[in-house]
Amino acid sequence: MQHIMDITHGYQWLTVIWWLLIGLFVVLYIILDGADLGSGIYSLFNSDSEERGAIMASMAGTWDANETWLVVAGGAIFGTFPLAYGSLFHYLMIPLMVVLWGIIIRAVSLEFHHYSKRSRKIWDWGFGIGSLATTFAAGVSLGAFLQGFSMSTSQVPTFNGGAMDFLTPFSLLTGVTAVIAASLAGGTYLRARFNRDTEIYAKALKWTDLMFYLALVAILVTVAWTFIQFPWARDKWIGTYWWAYVIAGAIVLYATWSMRKASREQRDITAMLWLASIVFINFGTMMATLYPWFVPGTMTIFDAANPSNSLAAFSYAMLGFVPVMLSYNFYQAWVFRARLHKLVGYAH
Amino acid sequence: MIRAEVGQPQFSTQITLFGARRAIYYREKKMTDPTLMTDLARLDFAWITTMHILYPPLTIGLASFLLYSEWRWLKTDNDEWYRLTRFFEKLFIINFGAGVATGVTMEMSFGILFGPFSQAAGPFFGNILGYETITAFMYEAGFIGLMIFGWGKISKKMHIFATFNVAFSSMLSAMWILVANSWMQSPTGVHLEKGLFLVDDWTAAIFNPNFLTAFPHMFIASIEIGLFFVAGISAWMIYKNRHAQMFMRTLTASLMALVIVAPLQVYIGDELGRTVAEHDPAALAAMEGHWHTYNADGSPNTSWNLIAWPDEEKGTNTFQIGIPHVLSLLEDHKWVSTVKGLDQFKPEDRPPVLAPFYAFRIMVAAGGILMLVAFWALYLRYKGKFSAEELQRRPWFLRAIIFSAILPYIAIWTGWWTREIARQPWLVHGLMRTSEGVSQMSIAAEIAWFIGFVFFDLVVWIGAWYFFSKVVRTGPDMNEEIMHGVQDDALSLGQMPKKHPPEGKPLIERPTV
Repeated sequence: MQHIMDITHGYQWLTVIWWLLIGLFVVLYIILDGADLGSGIYSLFNSDSEERGAIMASMAGTWDANETWLVVAGGAIFGTFPLAYGSLFHYLMIPLMVVLWGIIIRAVSLEFHHYSKRSRKIWDWGFGIGSLATTFAAGVSLGAFLQGFSMSTSQVPTFNGGAMDFLTPFSLLTGVTAVIAASLAGGTYLRARFNRDTEIYAKALKWTDLMFYLALVAILVTVAWTFIQFPWARDKWIGTYWWAYVIAGAIVLYATWSMRKASREQRDITAMLWLASIVFINFGTMMATLYPWFVPGTMTIFDAANPSNSLAAFSYAMLGFVPVMLSYNFYQAWVFRARLHKLVGYAH
Repeated sequence: MIRAEVGQPQFSTQITLFGARRAIYYREKKMTDPTLMTDLARLDFAWITTMHILYPPLTIGLASFLLYSEWRWLKTDNDEWYRLTRFFEKLFIINFGAGVATGVTMEMSFGILFGPFSQAAGPFFGNILGYETITAFMYEAGFIGLMIFGWGKISKKMHIFATFNVAFSSMLSAMWILVANSWMQSPTGVHLEKGLFLVDDWTAAIFNPNFLTAFPHMFIASIEIGLFFVAGISAWMIYKNRHAQMFMRTLTASLMALVIVAPLQVYIGDELGRTVAEHDPAALAAMEGHWHTYNADGSPNTSWNLIAWPDEEKGTNTFQIGIPHVLSLLEDHKWVSTVKGLDQFKPEDRPPVLAPFYAFRIMVAAGGILMLVAFWALYLRYKGKFSAEELQRRPWFLRAIIFSAILPYIAIWTGWWTREIARQPWLVHGLMRTSEGVSQMSIAAEIAWFIGFVFFDLVVWIGAWYFFSKVVRTGPDMNEEIMHGVQDDALSLGQMPKKHPPEGKPLIERPTV
């Protein structure tokens, strides 16, 4: 890829900034939509249609913006790392296809549910199954991404593997881990969103307790597996900066303990924020471990970067918008901050 | 600096539990027929775009209309405008939800279905789509929640500001998408280097010749579909004599706007036709079924085909009904001029003819009928017959308006089919063929994609239209309390509620049927 590197060469710091920003978009998506998706998974295990309606109403004003972070991440990858976009997305065709199907069915379920009477059951299930499918397939995609993929040796290297390359025990494991982690986030979100005297608030606590222990196991297994299977991760974790990873791990442990404490004391927003910071630190650690790979073992961020003039153009045009985006998203979340009770969404 | 070795991943220690299945896939790939693979990828993409374009134009047009009607409410303080705004807003949400559901797919499918294209064109095309997601898509998503669910939670001024932002951001979104699409039709401002399209001149690439007429054409199409949607539903309500006086407001406003918008669209369409004639003559020749540049006697062939049946093997029409001089008049505004026929292009550079030819004619006919319908409304207004009672005595007029709500959909579909099929075999005109830009996929995966999206996109479409009709049947809510600015009894997230909120009075109100 030397010839492409020659073009991208002069703008390495911009490349790194965009890589970090894309990481930020992705982690924002995981934190924000993770809670929405997790509540969808929770709703699958609760047969009460009214309660499902309430869960959907609780995210009525924000789900679209939360989901849009995924689109922003995708668009930013296309704009700043087109060589990765064209090959990675092709490699992940099948899991991404399932993500998209899940998103379609979830989006229409959220909109149609409140207009329906006879078909309400369909949209109840659509919301739950859509959330589950999206989460699982997104988790599989993440695992498959960590495995890397094969590229052609043509002038512009493209993906040249098979459609099922993504499917390995590791990617299935990350899929399951994603479902469990989202379920935990969903439970925490529901606790913060509903009145304390509602049934759903109590049920969400039981759910959160269960998911907490499952998540602990799933995440530890994933980390151990990553350590064993991927030399790029192992080398970093026991390399020169091993102490940084130890500190990160310690902070995560402390945050986990604080989250549990806050949750027990019914400080639900605090619990939600602790969980968000756990996700954030974990994701940051993953990014630090990945550097300088964009896709581990396949291409570095400098290989994948847009030729310099385009990256500069993108940066000049777009960097200013990031704080703007963050601020109106925050305003929106603030407007819809009220707690809800179960009958919400049923104005008649 | 650390770099990846090209080829196989260095550290791949993949556990091949599914190795056997993978081997089957590789074998299949070798048997893949490249033409079939390209055609299926086109079909896959055509289906998802066709099912997506149903929604965004209406979102754009209806958002502008909602901005107008909300402004009328603030200006006149007339409750009817409030109720009309809330009523059309319900339809807007359904449409918007369907647009988001089908739209997320679009943004990922470039990389999935057209990976090599995405890589090569990424330096320009990817940037533009990135601009779109950051400046428009997220912008719209941020304000739409406020617009729909902000009633009673934010001030009136903040609310109309949110509505304005939704309308503006959706236009911005359309603009970026048209920049990207038009650039593929007339790729200026770039050069190919080492397999990548590198940008030399951003201004030239963004304001490429096709964009300058294609964007106005699409923008006006969006306004037109929005106005006819409003007019059709208002006409239906008057036809059924439900809140007839109230719906006269929206019927009059939309139809009078269409008196200007519908003919303007015909004019811009003509301009776009001439742009295509200049920058992609093969596409224009296909749209017109124009095979022979010159007649047998050596004079320029100026005949415009009303109907024809093309034979692509032989390179001519099996039969045709042509009108002399019309083609020259249309393309060059001259009595006699030379219009390049398909015989000027090598067979492998010729687009398919049948689909663009008829799709184009259907679009033109739909646009023409819509213009005549708008003029009919103007005539009735001029005669002083534009009141609910008078119109109810003219049921055929109302029926025509209701029927007209379908035509913009047909025009948009056929228009895009014309545009996308007539530019074949090029993906980026003159620089990259469709077969070069397509991902190397297995036929099985492409078919799975197609079947899956046929199912899910049809669920969305049927659902959206079913709920449209349900909202229209239920009609506007005439009893609901009018939301004047902030009506605050909501608790902050994290506060302990002191009392139960009164039963049946939700803290967050969702529009319900």
